[in-house]
Amino acid sequence: MSVTDLVPPTATQDRTAAGGPPVRRCGPLSLLGASVLPVAGSLAVDTWRVGAVALAVQLLLLPLAVRGWRALLPRLVPVTIAAVSVGWSTWLLGGEADPVAAAVASVLRIAVLVLPGVVLLAWLDPSETGDHLAQRLHLPARAVVAATAALEQLSALAQAWDELSRARRARGLGPGRGPVSRVRWAASTAFGLLVEALRRAARMSVAMDARGFADAAGRSWALPARWALADTVLLVVGALLAAVPLVATALLG
Amino acid sequence: MSTTSTTPRSSALARGPLGRWRSLDLVTAAVLGVAFGVVFWGWDVVYNVLSPGFGFFQPAKGLLGGVWLLPAVVGALVVRRPGAALFTELVAASVEYLLGSGWSVGVLISGGLQGLGVEIAVALFAWRRWGAGVAALGGALAAALEALYEAFAYNDWVLGWDLAYGAAFVVSGAVVAGLGGAALVRALARAGALQRFPAGAEHRAAQRA
Repeated sequence: MSVTDLVPPTATQDRTAAGGPPVRRCGPLSLLGASVLPVAGSLAVDTWRVGAVALAVQLLLLPLAVRGWRALLPRLVPVTIAAVSVGWSTWLLGGEADPVAAAVASVLRIAVLVLPGVVLLAWLDPSETGDHLAQRLHLPARAVVAATAALEQLSALAQAWDELSRARRARGLGPGRGPVSRVRWAASTAFGLLVEALRRAARMSVAMDARGFADAAGRSWALPARWALADTVLLVVGALLAAVPLVATALLG
Repeated sequence: MSTTSTTPRSSALARGPLGRWRSLDLVTAAVLGVAFGVVFWGWDVVYNVLSPGFGFFQPAKGLLGGVWLLPAVVGALVVRRPGAALFTELVAASVEYLLGSGWSVGVLISGGLQGLGVEIAVALFAWRRWGAGVAALGGALAAALEALYEAFAYNDWVLGWDLAYGAAFVVSGAVVAGLGGAALVRALARAGALQRFPAGAEHRAAQRA
């Protein structure tokens, strides 16, 4: 057994090693770009026909981008709720001659806005994203490192929430049945979480400064951030997706 | 609250040049952002449970919106350096995105706009005033930018409803995010969690007085 067997695979190795759709070769910046560009395009979705065309084009490309169909389904639940709630409010408040068509157009517009981001999120790794933001986009290095280090604390803070709420229950401070009591209880647990977060940040910054975080010159990064041909292709596809609603509007009138 | 009358009129400022963030400032803003991201996760559920309650008066939903702006206000009032509001809110939005928000990458755009709103308010006072008034202005501006974005990107309402929603959101931004955020930072200082920050120094000064 060599030393490399003991090192866990990096996010990049994880993505690219196994077979899968072509998107696995793309880095975080093109993933983010291709997620955000269709947001701009979705603003041009004004009728349900244009929305249907734009969504159909996205759905056709889905097999090239989905990491696992089973993992995708639960991610679609919150976006469906969001899209339907927007559609409902359009039906109520849109003041259109045909409220149903307007509501359907709204639902499709939100679907076109969120779908690329939801699908591509499965390939995004926070630490790898930080590496690329700092090395390729040259965002301030310390801010990027602080943000990725803090994101590593996400599961620890979620666990702290559990511990806090259990400890408070054990002391008889559980919430009552009513919604007001629940919101108050959640608010005071959230306060405990913020105190814990501040303590954790103080400890982390001391540890990081002990390793020369404050004034490092010529900072080194865990991994190189490469821009591949696949990244360019994905970005172009994202731009084309953004253009679909505009073209569809021009053609369908 | 009795402490407000004894608080010195001018705000305590961050040490050294304002643009020179200490490591503690950066890590604190980032971890606060993550903690608020966890809170958002819960607030999403509350929001979805409560919003049908607004039934046929959807614009009143704006009243719940102030909670989303808290990271920007709290991050700014704790760190008191240019960029703190934007940074904290963007980290919180990233967490929301990673955990799977219904608006997907839209939350990153919202986070940027909301952070920018608070950033504009504190910049207007040259990063020297950090009281509840500035916080309320920041919350209101952040809410206005977010309502504008939602009117363009999400909602398909007639203008009057957009304006009603925006007004409700701005009130919530000023009260919940602005005044609430300022009160939250004072409470954190009282709890002794901000010893090495200007807000902690203000609290000690108020106690001596």
